[in-house]
Amino acid sequence: MKVQYAYLKGYLSTDLSQAKLSDVFTEVGFECEVDGAMIDFDITPNRGDALSLRGLQREFDAHQSRTAKRKIPVTKLKFLKDKTVIDKVDQTGCGNYHLAMIKNIESLKNLDSKKQKFLLEAGVPLIHPLVDLGNYVMLELGTPMHIFDLDSLQLPINVLFKSENKTFQAIGGDYKNLEASTLTIQDQKGVQAIAGIIGGEKTAVLKKTTNIAIEAAFFIPHKIVNQARKYGLATDASHRFERGVDPEMQKTALARFIFLLKDIAHFDAIQCFEGESTTLKPKYINLNVQRFNNFSGLTLTSKRIKMLLENLNFDLAAAKKDNLKFKVPSHRFDIDLEEDLYEEILRCYGYDNIPVNSSKSGPIISNREFSNVAQLRSGLVFGGFQELIHIPFVSKKTFDSLNIHSRKPAELLNPINENEPMMRGSLFGSLFNAIYINAKKNYSTIKVFEEGNVFYKNENEFSQESHLSGIIYDHGGLQSWSAKTPIYDFYSLKADVLQLLKTIAVSKLKLIPTTSSKIFNSNSMDIFAGKKKIGIFGEIDLTVTQKMIKNTVFGFELYPEEINSNDTRVQLKPSSKFPSASRDINILISKEIKYSLIKSLLEKGRIKFLKQFILANTFDGAGIPDESISMTLRFIFQSPTKSLTESDINLSMNKAFQILQKSFKAEIRS
Amino acid sequence: MQIPQDLIDTAKLKLKSVQSEAEFFQLRAQFLGKKAYVISAFATLKSLDPLAKVAAAKELNILKGSLNKIFEDALVNLQSEDDFTVLDTTLPADPYLVGSIHPITKVSQRVMDYFLPLNYQVFPGDEIETDYYNFEALNFPENHPARQMHDTFYLNSNAQSQHLLRTHTSNSQIHSMLREDLPLYMLSPGRVYRCDSDTTHLPMFTQIEGLVVDQDVTFGDLKGVIINFLEYFFEEKPEIRFRPSYFPFTEPSAEVDIKFGNNGWLEVLGCGMVHPNVLKGCNIDTKTYRGFAFGMGIERLAMLYYGVEDIRDFYSSNLDFLNQFSS
Repeated sequence: MKVQYAYLKGYLSTDLSQAKLSDVFTEVGFECEVDGAMIDFDITPNRGDALSLRGLQREFDAHQSRTAKRKIPVTKLKFLKDKTVIDKVDQTGCGNYHLAMIKNIESLKNLDSKKQKFLLEAGVPLIHPLVDLGNYVMLELGTPMHIFDLDSLQLPINVLFKSENKTFQAIGGDYKNLEASTLTIQDQKGVQAIAGIIGGEKTAVLKKTTNIAIEAAFFIPHKIVNQARKYGLATDASHRFERGVDPEMQKTALARFIFLLKDIAHFDAIQCFEGESTTLKPKYINLNVQRFNNFSGLTLTSKRIKMLLENLNFDLAAAKKDNLKFKVPSHRFDIDLEEDLYEEILRCYGYDNIPVNSSKSGPIISNREFSNVAQLRSGLVFGGFQELIHIPFVSKKTFDSLNIHSRKPAELLNPINENEPMMRGSLFGSLFNAIYINAKKNYSTIKVFEEGNVFYKNENEFSQESHLSGIIYDHGGLQSWSAKTPIYDFYSLKADVLQLLKTIAVSKLKLIPTTSSKIFNSNSMDIFAGKKKIGIFGEIDLTVTQKMIKNTVFGFELYPEEINSNDTRVQLKPSSKFPSASRDINILISKEIKYSLIKSLLEKGRIKFLKQFILANTFDGAGIPDESISMTLRFIFQSPTKSLTESDINLSMNKAFQILQKSFKAEIRS
Repeated sequence: MQIPQDLIDTAKLKLKSVQSEAEFFQLRAQFLGKKAYVISAFATLKSLDPLAKVAAAKELNILKGSLNKIFEDALVNLQSEDDFTVLDTTLPADPYLVGSIHPITKVSQRVMDYFLPLNYQVFPGDEIETDYYNFEALNFPENHPARQMHDTFYLNSNAQSQHLLRTHTSNSQIHSMLREDLPLYMLSPGRVYRCDSDTTHLPMFTQIEGLVVDQDVTFGDLKGVIINFLEYFFEEKPEIRFRPSYFPFTEPSAEVDIKFGNNGWLEVLGCGMVHPNVLKGCNIDTKTYRGFAFGMGIERLAMLYYGVEDIRDFYSSNLDFLNQFSS
């Protein structure tokens, strides 16, 4: 809400500078900014009562401890109940309804230039002096009004949800289809206004209008709130009704209108009517001084509390020692609980004046939950990976191309971009895009990763699963004067992945060649911890990336939530004091045989003193039959209790060769 | 007797061009071998008178000693050079890639670094949430403007409860209060979503929520932890202002602004005492327990901390931008 400083200053009778005044309001909870000749107030949705000069004045007076009541000059009015004027009022939507009728308006002048400027600068256009005056009173007292051309109305008025009309022409000419949940103002011809939102074209005030009916009503906030948006008719009036206007202000507002009308027009008779209304019971709230002090950390006396609250028009209704009872003023919709009063007291006392305590610690957590994501992240960064974060909205095409298990997408009902209506089911889409973007910028070797949730729809709910995915792209970018160019291939990726998993102590880690994955080709492996799949890595299938990336890329996907690394305390084994010995064996073996099988059989083969063996070399060039491959296996032996003799080692080597010969028909080459 | 004075300089000069031990010994013979001047000159001393003989012998000995020293040193140098190849250590290193943690992650970690030693427990929260945990349990009135499609992303769901992308990490307050024992000191980082996209807003951003529910916590405790945290985070003591505000789930509510030097006030976080309706909804006895909560936008803190001007840089996969965070 923008208010002209010069006008506000006069209204508040203060000499404070624009900046200082802006600070005062910010201090009491109405964040504002100086904007040229204006102060722009950001009024929180609970404080509809402050959306007026009068509302701001109340807050200002409380802050300045001005206790003298301000009087609003008004014309005295008398209200009648007359079913021929106001008939039915549906009180579930309308708390009270008033009409003031003024006849024979003559010599109508514009509002004075000060008021006109005030309206214009507040963003309220000048339309017709009578409408402008209604708007002025709304900005002054916070009570929206509507002015009907009395001659075009066919009384009595009904305020009802149901109407016979299906469409309604609003001021400005737009037709709106009315819904049954919309409260409307109807005369005998039909709907003439949408309650609290906008009047009708047919009953609008015109140049020639001389007789008017001014409406001032209290519409129940939550009956208005969805309506204005639904019809695309957010107005100054609806903004205030949604937040709640003072239900005791309608008569005063009409009286104020008529008082000010005298300055700009001559007119005859005034007749005022009111419909059936709901009497709102005043609210009372108990406040215990000790409780307040415990809550705030202050030590205020009941006298001080009483003073602070009375400045805000909360009157003390009863007091018994520390127990105070306050009456809530009718404009304060937001006050229901004792804690609401605490806020009022603290606001006036000044948040910045509340003493500061030192930071408190919580109890020691013995079973702190451990997330391995932070550790994985630093492992990746150490391995040269750059972390990326992306917004998880994707196109249907991207979702489908990465949807390996044909799961259902989590779809947005109101996406920001219609081309990206789905939540991602994989992190790879954005990572491919990142490669594409940066490869164009001449980054020819890129290692990137992202950690975040992927989303799917299940039967009646949604699942969100934590993923950690990375991509390695190398277009021969890292050249060196020494000709030592790093190699990025499946095996370097395998080393990266194993090194990474080693840092988080995955128990029962197993790598198994992948049998089917839409994203990876067959040069890939599933990662298992025991029986649980915790990830996959390998060469990304070109069909997935071909549009964006032309070179082979390698990638991995880990599921951190599935990785159980709670039991990370190391089980130490004693290390042998005796020397170890190593022997190489060179065998010729069928290419069909997977190395993992050789490894597993040798490991399980009970070869005595075997500490470790490694694949030292492979060769399948000249001199090796086409279907075979030559392998050099290096065995390392060690005993925990003695130095090994040559015959100990020979026995073990024989055993190893027997296994290789028996299981794989391996031949010794040398 | 005339003793040549330039022998030492000549030897030094010649040694410089020696490449191998063979060359060295050849050179050494020239200067210190049987036929070398310093050796043969001793023979000529006999012909001198006794006084001159003593002086000349002394001078020759000094010269011989110097030459010996020069050659010994040169040999040590020559032999040690044979042990390794001398490199131009100023040539570039082998090619390497430097990775880095995303600035948003870095800033989140920096926030956690303050709270974890105070025994705040990290509580993960769901990004897809029901209307109940995102709004209702947090005391948002049924018709609160934030619930509109205008601000909240809703999901296509056949379930009875309305599913949405959480608009704040405050949903973790409810889940943690329902799940954990009291007293509760928790911190919940995560991504949140709002239907907003322009130069200063993104549809996704990152928040960290904090919640304390304990006996005897006061507004003064809340102020203490927030001020102390901000001083830790920014490594200086900015001016800090607590300003009354409104969140449905806290009462009283405050927004916190900071000010560096002569710059204007900048909003950095929202906080407040947990609303009694929220506590009651989580079956917490409000006579015994009170709470405070705070929530901060990590992008905002990161922009202030690193001087980032365009919020969109964070999520644009731009390596030129991101690589700068490797140190």
